[in-house]
Amino acid sequence: MTMKDAITRRRLIAAGGATAFAGMLGAPLIAKAANGSLRIGMVTSLSGPFAGLGEAMRDGIVMALEEYGNEIAGRRIELIVEDDQAKPDEGVRKFRKLIGQDNVDIVSGVISSAVALAVRDVVTEAEALTFISAGSANALARDAASPLVFRPTKTNWMLGHTAGLWAAEKISKTGCLTIGADYAAGREYIGDFVETYTAQGGAVGQQLWAPLGTTDFGPLLTAIASVQPEFIYSFFAGSDAVRFLRQMKDYRLHEKVKVLGGGALFDQEDVIATVKDAALGGLNTCNQSPTAPASQAFSAAYLARRGVLPGEMGTAGYVTAQVIKAALERVGGDVAAKDQLKENLLALPVDTVFGPMSFDPRNNQAILDIYVNEITESADGPVNQVIHTYQGVQDPGPTA
Amino acid sequence: MSFYLVQILNALSFSMLLMLTGLGLSVVLSLLNFVNLTHGSSFLLGAYVSIWWLGSGAPWWLAFPVAFLASALAGLVLERFPFRQFYTRTHLMQVLLTYGLSVIFADLMRWGFGAQIASPELPEILSGVIFVFDMPFPIYRLFIIVFGAVLALALWFVIDRTIWGAVVRACVTDRRFVETLGLDTKRIFTIVVAVAAGLGGLSGALGAGVLSAYPGLDEEQLILALIVVVVGGLGTFRGTVLSALLLGFTMTFTKVWIPEMSNVAALAIMALMLVIAPQGLVARKVRQV
Repeated sequence: MTMKDAITRRRLIAAGGATAFAGMLGAPLIAKAANGSLRIGMVTSLSGPFAGLGEAMRDGIVMALEEYGNEIAGRRIELIVEDDQAKPDEGVRKFRKLIGQDNVDIVSGVISSAVALAVRDVVTEAEALTFISAGSANALARDAASPLVFRPTKTNWMLGHTAGLWAAEKISKTGCLTIGADYAAGREYIGDFVETYTAQGGAVGQQLWAPLGTTDFGPLLTAIASVQPEFIYSFFAGSDAVRFLRQMKDYRLHEKVKVLGGGALFDQEDVIATVKDAALGGLNTCNQSPTAPASQAFSAAYLARRGVLPGEMGTAGYVTAQVIKAALERVGGDVAAKDQLKENLLALPVDTVFGPMSFDPRNNQAILDIYVNEITESADGPVNQVIHTYQGVQDPGPTA
Repeated sequence: MSFYLVQILNALSFSMLLMLTGLGLSVVLSLLNFVNLTHGSSFLLGAYVSIWWLGSGAPWWLAFPVAFLASALAGLVLERFPFRQFYTRTHLMQVLLTYGLSVIFADLMRWGFGAQIASPELPEILSGVIFVFDMPFPIYRLFIIVFGAVLALALWFVIDRTIWGAVVRACVTDRRFVETLGLDTKRIFTIVVAVAAGLGGLSGALGAGVLSAYPGLDEEQLILALIVVVVGGLGTFRGTVLSALLLGFTMTFTKVWIPEMSNVAALAIMALMLVIAPQGLVARKVRQV
């Protein structure tokens, strides 16, 4: 007993000494690394309604940074991820923390458009290099654009507009019904779709709106069944999208009515992985597709890592890292040269897994290829198959 | 004609979901005067358990009793600690306790079941449609209507017509008097809380086929349950059923006529009820001494 005690005590002293020694050696090493390293902050939604999307986005950027060996343009990269709970005030708090407390060199992320709009002034005042990975309200590329805020993602208009073109040209100019989630994004998608579709000579019939978070689509689906439209244009996201598609199938409407939607309605990871064959035959316009040529290698790696093909948010996280990498390499890692970085980033397109991406110098908004995806059966289950590509779609920007 | 028939069926199935969600909460609130905000967690737990069960290949119909038992067991443990210590505290303390617990459970479930949206794989027999003239109506929703009606009848029978129900009702009226009869009211309360949590789990299992399961569903369902209970009034079984029907039909038919307003309609009814009949649709008869 005493023997054991003695050993323990001796070990304790030894361990204590070793720790102190390591501390003496280690501390300066760590401090040195911090000087040369570069900090990227990412704010995404890890709890609340977008938790699943946020985890995918975080995994996307981590995956890219691991591929780069956590080093870009000769500088070590430190990633700090924060949760905004999809709430604007929480997002503002986290951006202030990253910029003021953690002294990050670059801030990125954001899924919710409301958060993106709320943090706009915070990052603009701080003159922080900002990369918005997914928030896509049209205003972000228009009135709320800001000199150092880059937008390597789509705007809602880019998807609604291309869906309008596709519907008028390839589906039908009559027998259209729209149904959308009754909040800012839903109104934008449907509004932009209707504007383009009618400008192309299409006529829109009934327009239905369901409150955000609608649990029971039964009454609306019964209404659709009685109208029997030729096709519907729809925007729902997340759990609303899952419920809408599943209930469409419950009411046997998925075989009778063609569904065209915004990308989020048929998101590969968030929606299709859950509703499976209820999504078959659906069409959507999206800046991302797991089957796009640019995404092939990434899709396979993502599938191996997470067991599911990538949706928009996982891809957006990865693309954010790709764009940051291009921006840093074009200034040799000198993140302080913000004007130079901006000039060089806007000068040439970046190859991303979304597809080729160039930036609009008026608002730093990405000009992107928009894919028309059809959900078809594949070896990995139902998948977004590219059937057409609208090349270089550009938001009207500040003039709209 | 068939359009409105199907809409009535839609309203009935939605009402049943509301009723199932509200029942467990109402039972605990009226019997124990205990505000249990973990009720949404019971619902979500039941939903996840049934989805897991239906995906496992075991006999599908067992999914519902299994979900009931899982949530009831969780309720049983919670009642022992810490609910029991809070029965005599103020409502505010109970709200703080159970809300805190529900946040913890939400995180635990996100960790255990993942943040992805999950949907059950319904058995063949429940996944078809029937046609009312030419309008389709899913069989699963018929199943919900029938299951809900049977469950409501059974509960009403137990509470209103059996000796066990009489004991529970007596506990509500005068707990000490029941104890003088030699009955252990602590145990009765434990059973009531466990059964109420089980009901939450069972409604989650049934609801998952329509709603799916995902982080955040617990909160959504809790709010609906609270609205049902507030409109229906405390302490009456009939009140919960009536209020679920009223809300279900109102929300369904506002969706038919002015879909944007369907949530507003539910809240407007609640506000109106609070103003004109704060006791709820069916008020418990209280004898003033």
